[in-house]
Amino acid sequence: MTQAELAGRATAAEAELLARLRAGDETAFEALVARHYGTMLAVAQTYVKGRATAEEVVQETWLAVIQGLERFEGRASLKTWILAILVNKAKTRGVREARSVPFTALAGEDEEPAVAPERFRGANDAFPGHWRAYPGNWSADEVARDRETIRVAMSAIAALPPTQQTVIRMRDVEGYSSEEVCAALEVSEANQRVLLHRARSRVRAVLEEHLDG
Amino acid sequence: MADLHSHEHVSCQEVVELVTDYLEGALSPDEAALFEQHLNFCDGCDWYVEQLRTTIATVGRIEQEEVPPAMRQKLLTAFRDRGRS
Repeated sequence: MTQAELAGRATAAEAELLARLRAGDETAFEALVARHYGTMLAVAQTYVKGRATAEEVVQETWLAVIQGLERFEGRASLKTWILAILVNKAKTRGVREARSVPFTALAGEDEEPAVAPERFRGANDAFPGHWRAYPGNWSADEVARDRETIRVAMSAIAALPPTQQTVIRMRDVEGYSSEEVCAALEVSEANQRVLLHRARSRVRAVLEEHLDG
Repeated sequence: MADLHSHEHVSCQEVVELVTDYLEGALSPDEAALFEQHLNFCDGCDWYVEQLRTTIATVGRIEQEEVPPAMRQKLLTAFRDRGRS
């Protein structure tokens, strides 16, 4: 299937979803709320302090979405529209409460390397910058399906700085595109990639400790 | 992140910092070629990139957070009542 066909199919699915919502289909509505809850909460938490406030922002957003359903024109995708409302609501709160993560500090947020420098050969070695000992050859399928490993990944994510958490959650848990993440967090593509890189590298390191440690 | 313009080969230490740009398709064709060339000759980095892919797959299996029941109920009521006010 080509990209255009995929996009066409997505648009058709979205038009159908919108029609169901406008017709008052509660199952469709609940599924939509459930699907976006984690991301909405994570995005809200990068703008406001505390989980309780973030939950309120998510709830206010859905109330606004319900009110706005008839007016939604479909120029952006439904989830882009929902996230834009969320960001607006969160910012209004964030201004009042002083945001938990000043975005000017984004790029400087924890600059630790992906892999500890001592795992590579030094400048005076014949092969500077090469592995001293290779990382493990994981059996991808087994690892990804193991419940305990998934639990370890969850706690690794929970320990990340808030913006990194939100980026990895949106990209790798919920499957949002990089454009959607950039729009929701108001960061550049390059910054989004830096945050994603740090988050994934950190989670990999924690998994490595768990699997090969 | 590592600067690829200054030399014709990438070290393992650079590979681990470039892997996200590579997976995101953000490297130039020349940079991507250098990156892949390194993987062809280096099992360590090949396994490292595989570990990253496995990490992404593992994170992808995390279950989505559940909507608190009180919020779920409140939103459902609002959805039912919409347009009736």
